[in-house]
Amino acid sequence: MATATATLAASARRRRPALAAFRKAVTRKPGRLIGLIIIVFFVLMGICGPWFYGRLAVDPNALYAPPSAKHWLGTDFAGSDVLQEVVTGARYVLATAALSAFFTSLFGVTIGLVAGYQRGVTDSILMRLTDFVLTIPGLPLLIILSTVWSFGSPWQMGLVLGITGWGGVARAVRAQALSLRERGFLEAARGLGLSRRHIIFKEMLPNIAPYATMQLMLSMIAFVGAEVGLFFLGLVPFSSTNWGVMLNQAVFSGGAMETPDALIYLLAPLVCILVLTLGIVLFLDAIDELFNPRLRERA
Amino acid sequence: MTGFARRLAGKLLTGLVMVWVVVTFTFFLVHALPGKPGDVQYEQYIMSGMTADQASAKVQAIYGFTSHDSLLAQYGGYLGKLAHGDLGQSISYSGVPVSHLIWSALPWTVIPVLSGLLVSFLIGVVAGIVAAVKRSSRWGGLLTVSGSLVAGVPAFVLALLLLVVFHTEWNLLPDAGTSDIQYDPGWNLPYIGSVVQHAVLPVCAYALLSYGGWLLAMKSSVVSVLGDDFILASELRGIAPVTRARYIGRNAILPLFTVLALSFGVMFAGSFFIEDTFDYPGLGDLLLKSIGTRDYPVMAGAFLLITVSIIVANIIADLCYTLIDPRVRR
Repeated sequence: MATATATLAASARRRRPALAAFRKAVTRKPGRLIGLIIIVFFVLMGICGPWFYGRLAVDPNALYAPPSAKHWLGTDFAGSDVLQEVVTGARYVLATAALSAFFTSLFGVTIGLVAGYQRGVTDSILMRLTDFVLTIPGLPLLIILSTVWSFGSPWQMGLVLGITGWGGVARAVRAQALSLRERGFLEAARGLGLSRRHIIFKEMLPNIAPYATMQLMLSMIAFVGAEVGLFFLGLVPFSSTNWGVMLNQAVFSGGAMETPDALIYLLAPLVCILVLTLGIVLFLDAIDELFNPRLRERA
Repeated sequence: MTGFARRLAGKLLTGLVMVWVVVTFTFFLVHALPGKPGDVQYEQYIMSGMTADQASAKVQAIYGFTSHDSLLAQYGGYLGKLAHGDLGQSISYSGVPVSHLIWSALPWTVIPVLSGLLVSFLIGVVAGIVAAVKRSSRWGGLLTVSGSLVAGVPAFVLALLLLVVFHTEWNLLPDAGTSDIQYDPGWNLPYIGSVVQHAVLPVCAYALLSYGGWLLAMKSSVVSVLGDDFILASELRGIAPVTRARYIGRNAILPLFTVLALSFGVMFAGSFFIEDTFDYPGLGDLLLKSIGTRDYPVMAGAFLLITVSIIVANIIADLCYTLIDPRVRR
């Protein structure tokens, strides 16, 4: 009896502090901590960055000025401060990525959960749909859609990216849901006669959340690439400055490939995308370990 | 073998249905476009002095349908022309059939994509094995991170960085086009040399684009095979390491065929960025240019071809998988 209580208490202690487990997973390897720091840094830059700068100050006397105390990263072809453009541009990029992730999880997680729980005809219809969405190449579709619909604002861009990009998440969530539905507590929930909605969203969703988060972060990397890429190709009307607009202007009108002066203007957004991707990749390792107990043992 | 035949038939049927859905989608997309491009074109021909019949025939030749018929008749006519391989005519290159434009653009996409795929396959698989065997050491971890990073970074970032390093900084390789202008196209050595020189950077960009996928897939595959019982058994029976490595390799390489289809899709999608950055006249470039000039028949045709090639690549990869792995056949 006493041992049983002790094991119960121990297991409760082990399970309860999710935050402690998270902290342990993140601090186990320095790379993961670096990843988290990078992500937090970019999020802060997206939220607070524009507060530090007012409207884009243009200095017409300093075109392609080299880095100096006044302009840390120099200026661009019109005399705008490059650092300022990078910082204020981060908000659009990150807001769009977050919104696309929101729409992707809305479609992908719901469809994956329902398909995995219902099985049968619903499952095969939903999975056919998912296969279809996965097969249609997303980027060409986006490029074609850009002729019909100018999705410049973060909401529109997020919605479009979400609609074209939920396939992978849905399939991954369905696989998890299929194995989850055979577990004891779900059988118990079904036996108790709880409603389908309750089982899917109150019982299954919390169990799938960490895994879904991992999938979402992976797709967020792709979304950042797609949105910045559409601006880079010049397919979406420029409403404000962001990394894609900077790249487009540096390559196609700034002549960054010919003049070394413009190199920083070109490299700044590129390095931002690289570092942000690196941050997400490093941090995913920690979430992977949290979700996947086999990895936890091994380390 | 009947199982294989049934699988093939099923796959082909699904593929055909998908192609049909995509065709329908492009048809209605061109229809839904603001300003009805077909009608505008028709009006222009009337204005330039054509009779109604001539203008109608001309629009019919370009788009494959005119808006005077009922929607169903237009759709039927469009499908009928497609079945004969007729994709309509280009607007900006007046009178040139779309299929001709696509055929001349195709090699500039397919050959670099395939060479990039081959290079990245060789490097990625070897790196994946190393990353799996040395997974607890620092180098293994670094290799894995390099794979995830390169797999995540967008194509244009890779392409632009290659350009900055090899063209702007070191001035080793040309930055745009398929060959230098002073050589005559044909089977002469200087021209071929120039083509190869111009193709190096795009091929490198394609290779980098799919390198991460190969590495990560090979790594996880090798790790799971290493844990299999038969590896332990062969080790206990004292089978030579070389033979054992062959066992591991044969089993681990199987799941990579799913990656083949995946990276084909990734590379075709990346071809827009790579061809735009290097000013390379492939399919992606054709689609982008047609969007710039609102050349709808070319746009629809290029989109259709890209989608169909991805569907075909999926089917081929799946069938290869079936042929090689006897366990799936049942």
